[in-house]
Amino acid sequence: MLGFLLRRLGDIIPTFFGVTILVFFLIRLIPGDPILMMAGERGVDAVRYAELKAQYGFDQPIIVQYFNYLLGVFQGDLGKSFVTKRPVFDEFMTLFPATVELSLMGILFAVCIGLPLGVIAAIKRGTIIDHLTMSISLTGYSMPIFWWALLLIMFFSTTLGWTPVSGRLSVFYYIEPTTGFMLIDTLLSGEKGAFTSALSHLVLPTIALGTIPMAVIARMTRSSMLEVLGEEYIRVARAKGLAPIRVVMVHALRNALIPVITVIGLQVGVLLAGAILTETIFSWPGIGKWIVEALNRRDYPTIQGGILMIAFLVMSVNLIVDLLYGVINPRIRHKR
Amino acid sequence: MALLEVKNLTVEFGSEDKPFRAVDNVSYSVDRGEVLGIVGESGSGKSVSSLAVMGLIDFPGRVTADSLTFDGQDLLTMSPRKRRAITGKEIGMIFQDPMSALNPCFTVEAQIMEALKVHEGGSKKERRERTLDLLNQVGIPDAKSRMTAYPHQLSGGMSQRIVIAMAIACNPRLLIADEPTTALDVTIQAQIIDLLLKLQDDSDMGLILITHDLALVSEAADRIQVMYAGQLFESGPADSIFAAPRHPYTQALLEALPERSAGHDRLRTIPGVVPGQHDRPVGCLLAPRCRYANDHCIKARPDVSDYKGRDVRCFYPLDDHGIPTGQPADQTTGGMA
Repeated sequence: MLGFLLRRLGDIIPTFFGVTILVFFLIRLIPGDPILMMAGERGVDAVRYAELKAQYGFDQPIIVQYFNYLLGVFQGDLGKSFVTKRPVFDEFMTLFPATVELSLMGILFAVCIGLPLGVIAAIKRGTIIDHLTMSISLTGYSMPIFWWALLLIMFFSTTLGWTPVSGRLSVFYYIEPTTGFMLIDTLLSGEKGAFTSALSHLVLPTIALGTIPMAVIARMTRSSMLEVLGEEYIRVARAKGLAPIRVVMVHALRNALIPVITVIGLQVGVLLAGAILTETIFSWPGIGKWIVEALNRRDYPTIQGGILMIAFLVMSVNLIVDLLYGVINPRIRHKR
Repeated sequence: MALLEVKNLTVEFGSEDKPFRAVDNVSYSVDRGEVLGIVGESGSGKSVSSLAVMGLIDFPGRVTADSLTFDGQDLLTMSPRKRRAITGKEIGMIFQDPMSALNPCFTVEAQIMEALKVHEGGSKKERRERTLDLLNQVGIPDAKSRMTAYPHQLSGGMSQRIVIAMAIACNPRLLIADEPTTALDVTIQAQIIDLLLKLQDDSDMGLILITHDLALVSEAADRIQVMYAGQLFESGPADSIFAAPRHPYTQALLEALPERSAGHDRLRTIPGVVPGQHDRPVGCLLAPRCRYANDHCIKARPDVSDYKGRDVRCFYPLDDHGIPTGQPADQTTGGMA
């Protein structure tokens, strides 16, 4: 077990280096000079420009800049934002809970809807129910997030007026962040209506973000379930006289979940990528929106730090998924 | 009254107007303490008929019968819930491939205890003790440590013993063993059959032994039923069938046994294969492969009739010397195969 963990951690290191290289050089390929961006429309004179360039280290060769950056990263220093002058890591940590909250809700939505849909489709294979659920999931999968999000806002917020258009909490409430998770903070604050407000703000972004993973999970569950239902041990379970629901939920689902868990893990990456769009559309104050804004301002340290942190998270989640495997599948557990 | 009574059981697959009959009007019965051997090639419908008895034929398949009763209770008309209370408790089933019959995600103990929980209840401790008893009963060495093993840690023979333990967990009155030894090594095969017969004898169970191994049923079964392409071809007491087969197919099967081929250079075989959905003959289903078939056999399909106390589906059942009766000699089309 420990050996496996160390091996997997060993895999992460080169990936981590790769990400730093990619993100560092790719950003510098984007046209636009961060110093000119900072200076704004009035511009800056040549002397001051040279001064600033030296101050941020842009006068050094790019390789030197990269190694300086890497040195910082290894000391836990992701740099300071050009715009706010605050450490990138601190900013990340303030905004991160908002993204986690949204992503968790998204994956929760995806699993809670996608898994049952897939199971039902598999059991009712070939019937109208199967075709219907699979069409829904294919539609969900093919839908561009930004368009889907706008449709949701137009229908539920504008036309029906059921949910707020954007943001995390109604302006009538001010909640001092303790955990950073709005749902928990509003509950802790005890302020009347705050929790409902937070929840209603979450609904649409959750659906927008969770739709694609939901579709993927539903399809994966269906095909995996179909395969398992054809296995001999399912027939044996039925020959024991078990109720059909127990055969499906205990004997089949447990086995069918093995590939589905992998897919859920992979979807976390998709979710974080999707969060960038979703957060921008819903003005959700999370990592996604933060990175997009940083990108517009060529705020190099923020972009680098943000993407690095996200990459790190995705890798960690996949590591956790691999460990979860062993819990579900005894064949993997015993091989070590 | 017989324990299991099957009258004119038919199982069909495919469309309503052009169905494929996997089992065609098959009747049999099993008593307490009796071993019925069902013999046939692959595709003869022997497994499907037993799955129908267990109620394990799924939606596209259609099961009909004049009667299908267990201990006087009609299995076809009872509610699914009531039927499940019989399946697994009163009737146990053992499957062909033990390696795929156990759920890879659960321990041996969990899988056996599950059947006990559903049918007999009791405390977890009681169920665990009973499971340990069962494992000892089916001859698993070091049963205690095997309780928490997962299926992938067991050998084929060991797995089949677990499957048997699972099937007899609730002391069923009827056990259906569907080719229980086909997937196993020859040395293990004999052990498993001995185990099954011992269990059957100890608790006076009815046992249906489905196999394509004639030598095996000859030793084990009281009565034998020979099936071909979903139809019953011959049935009767085991000894008399071996002494004097009445159906040309049974005769050919017996001749194909290595023991009976002594003195011949080659093993005798039956040319051709069992007809499938699309190549079913109009007449007798065996006609294309039968050495005695004549024009009448090719055009008309025989019914089961009583011949010298045996059920035989043939126009010209064989006499004690293995010669077709009532058939004009010049009409035979094939020579000796």
